[in-house]
Amino acid sequence: MSLKSRFGPFGHIGILVLLTIYFMPSSVFGADAGNCLVCHKFPGLSRVGENGEMRLLYVNEEIHNKGVHGSVKCEGCHTDITKIPHDPAKPVDCLVLCHIIEPTSEQKFSHKSVATSLEDSVHSKKDKDGKEKPFSEDMPTCKDCHDDPMFRPLAFVKKVRPGVAEDALGRCRVCHSKEAFIDKFYNHITTRLHKSRSPLNIAEACARCHDDPKLVARHNLSRAAGSYGQTFHGKAANLLDESVPDCLDCHVPKGKSVHQMYKNEDSRATTHKENRGQICNSVDCHPGASKKFSNYQVHAEFDKGKNPVIYWFTTFFIILTGGTLLPLMAILFLDLLRRLFPNASFRRRKEKQ
Amino acid sequence: MKCFLTKLYILAFMALVVFFGVLIWKLTFAHLIHEYHARKGHVSIEHTGEPDKKDIGKQTFETMILESEDRVKHYLGYRVLEEQRIKGHFHHIDFDIGPDNRSYCRSCHGDMPHDKVKDVRAFLNMHAFFIACQTCHVKLEEGEKTNVYKWYDRKTGDIVDSPVNGAPPGTYNAKIIPFVRENGQLVRIDSEDKIQFATEYKKNEKVLSEGQKSMAKKLIHKFISKVPVTCESCHTNNNPTLPLAELGYPKTRIDSITSTEVVGMIKKYTEFHMPKMLSPGEKPATPPQQPPVPLLSPVPPAAPPAAPPAQH
Repeated sequence: MSLKSRFGPFGHIGILVLLTIYFMPSSVFGADAGNCLVCHKFPGLSRVGENGEMRLLYVNEEIHNKGVHGSVKCEGCHTDITKIPHDPAKPVDCLVLCHIIEPTSEQKFSHKSVATSLEDSVHSKKDKDGKEKPFSEDMPTCKDCHDDPMFRPLAFVKKVRPGVAEDALGRCRVCHSKEAFIDKFYNHITTRLHKSRSPLNIAEACARCHDDPKLVARHNLSRAAGSYGQTFHGKAANLLDESVPDCLDCHVPKGKSVHQMYKNEDSRATTHKENRGQICNSVDCHPGASKKFSNYQVHAEFDKGKNPVIYWFTTFFIILTGGTLLPLMAILFLDLLRRLFPNASFRRRKEKQ
Repeated sequence: MKCFLTKLYILAFMALVVFFGVLIWKLTFAHLIHEYHARKGHVSIEHTGEPDKKDIGKQTFETMILESEDRVKHYLGYRVLEEQRIKGHFHHIDFDIGPDNRSYCRSCHGDMPHDKVKDVRAFLNMHAFFIACQTCHVKLEEGEKTNVYKWYDRKTGDIVDSPVNGAPPGTYNAKIIPFVRENGQLVRIDSEDKIQFATEYKKNEKVLSEGQKSMAKKLIHKFISKVPVTCESCHTNNNPTLPLAELGYPKTRIDSITSTEVVGMIKKYTEFHMPKMLSPGEKPATPPQQPPVPLLSPVPPAAPPAAPPAQH
């Protein structure tokens, strides 16, 4: 029996509706179920807050939808907003139970485990005994290190869409039919197969605190990000090399969350004197390197008080380099000047006078 | 000719030598000098506490976003997302818009001038991003109206073609300015002499007497009407104040601007709930019953005791 005979003209309309839904862009099904972007798509949506602080209320829809939180509805994070126009939005609690179902536990997703890791780490506001640490206001919260995270798919195949291997997607489509699911899953997996941020971006994130002179002084730290930038690793990271170790590669125990960083004195820390040797001689980095290899002063600063040997050694080479090359440049300049004015002479001018 | 080329070659070489000389200086001795001064510098150890409100007050949208030097590049592999970094701002911005160099209102009123009416201040500031102050705050009499509005470039101040078509809403590098008729000629309302007068006033403000200040302010604000153009004047199908089609708005955008979605929100300005159909199993929140709020108006409503204090 034909479709027409069974359903009459409504059969075709039904197909048309289904086809329209099927071919609708995925952004239609994006996070903006509450139509928040009617207002928040405008870059000028902003105000001065009660305490004089500037509040930019703009959300770039295109970027947001491509990001990790692209399928989370606005009210999934801004849980206090239940009506439009809404009351002043409260700060987002990143630990809130999300509307997304975590597939392995089939429970609502949450970042609570991150908070647990962070509370146990060197970045906790409290010490071992549960007492507030001095200058605990300096300890990072989520937004100090994270903005809206973006997918960073492996980008070695760029033939059709940048950063996406169409061949791999073709294999996904054999079993999976929903294009939005395939896209999201592909991005999620391939992002996790390598660093989710470039070593330079990681170092920059750490530098916001670890290169802040006042913060470093308050916590009696060294300027670790700055000294990283002076090393071979840091210089390569600055040139966007993806293979060099960043801060997390050395300070996070292998296989653990990046939030599980511990003090050097903590036996769980990768930088603990007993564990330090395993950082450099891992299979990925310098296999076979001895334990002593990792004992070099990786965060040695150019500082007379803290590292006098390195300071004077570096100063000697700086003076040697400058003292050689600058006179050379001066001689070159004078030589060129003579070539430009071959007959110029102070003596002749005096004779004329 | 050959001699000239040789001289040119030598000059270029000299410039190169100077460039390398400066570079070597910066990398060697300047580095030592910098380190010496940095070592002498005293870093006080104190709690961060609350930021100084005076300093925050001096910030403007321009200094925060448009001229911010704290830029960050996100290396995503397939693209580099470069944008200003705003401390505490979670969502990506990914847009750069030049400062409005033409407006003389900004020097006193700032980039986010609307602050009085909490319900709508963010909306009004959003409009101020692409509509010049005079468009709403100068109400021309019937005889003075020309119904001519044009776009001007925020950076150069020159009249430009419509930037609307194809650009995401509100992300224009231009603003709408009204035109008036002076001596039979169509001229923009923010004429050069008005800008000159306001600039001179700002420059000499400190040395002027109170009387002089008052007089100058009166002259600057001579054209400003007490009641500005209301939202409904433009968000309507019925002869809107701004000729949207002539300003280059495509039909889809005009339909959106005058749609029930926008107009309805302005007119009713009452709460409605997010659709809960995508959250099965959740009980819909029962909001407290509140009386509808009066129409959107930049002037505070007379007595709205139970109006929802919606703020953006």
